[in-house]
Amino acid sequence: MASLSTTSLSFKAPSTRISQVLRKGSSFQSVTFGRFTSSTSKSLRLQISCAAKAETVQKVSDIVKEQLALTADTPLTAESKFTALGADSLDTVEIVMALEEKFNISVEESDAQNITTIQEAADLIEDLVQKKPAA
Amino acid sequence: MVSRSEVLSLCRAMLRAGRQYPHYNLREYTKRRTLDGFRMNKNLTDQSKVNEAYAEAKAQLVVLERSVKFHSLYPPKTKNIMEVKLQ
Repeated sequence: MASLSTTSLSFKAPSTRISQVLRKGSSFQSVTFGRFTSSTSKSLRLQISCAAKAETVQKVSDIVKEQLALTADTPLTAESKFTALGADSLDTVEIVMALEEKFNISVEESDAQNITTIQEAADLIEDLVQKKPAA
Repeated sequence: MVSRSEVLSLCRAMLRAGRQYPHYNLREYTKRRTLDGFRMNKNLTDQSKVNEAYAEAKAQLVVLERSVKFHSLYPPKTKNIMEVKLQ
């Protein structure tokens, strides 16, 4: 099965997280992002390969929309670059700060400078949220 | 010679310091003022002016950290109305 083969790849998430994702998949709400509204198995595969939950991406997008004062119908995908949305580097700093507060994490200097898209931000957040309880 | 990344690091450091105030009004003010301050000077082209602004901001950061320590000695006794979630 396709989903089993992806778990055997060197994907760093522990098996418990993947089983959580699998359980989540059945009650999956459809989100505005096109690729996540497909059938359960397809969206699971996509979730694993993207390494970030759709709800995280959604929360990040909400914060970005709020910070940049975008209208509700601005097309916003996970691959949107902040600069494409009209943010300059100071806006990016502000967005990263807001994300830190929202998710209660601490982003390092070097990481913060490399965030350019919503997907990257969501991935970094997932990473940090996972590491936090273990610390 | 102050680089772009140094300026952004300073901005981040100030925002982080301002977050530690126990007082809602000081937190919000610091956030607003640092961002306004950095935005005001964001189009400077003259390198000497940039260095000047950077030095000023660095001094303010020192003041800010000291101020946070002081204000933490006298935290507010009640929650600010703005921090209370709407029921």
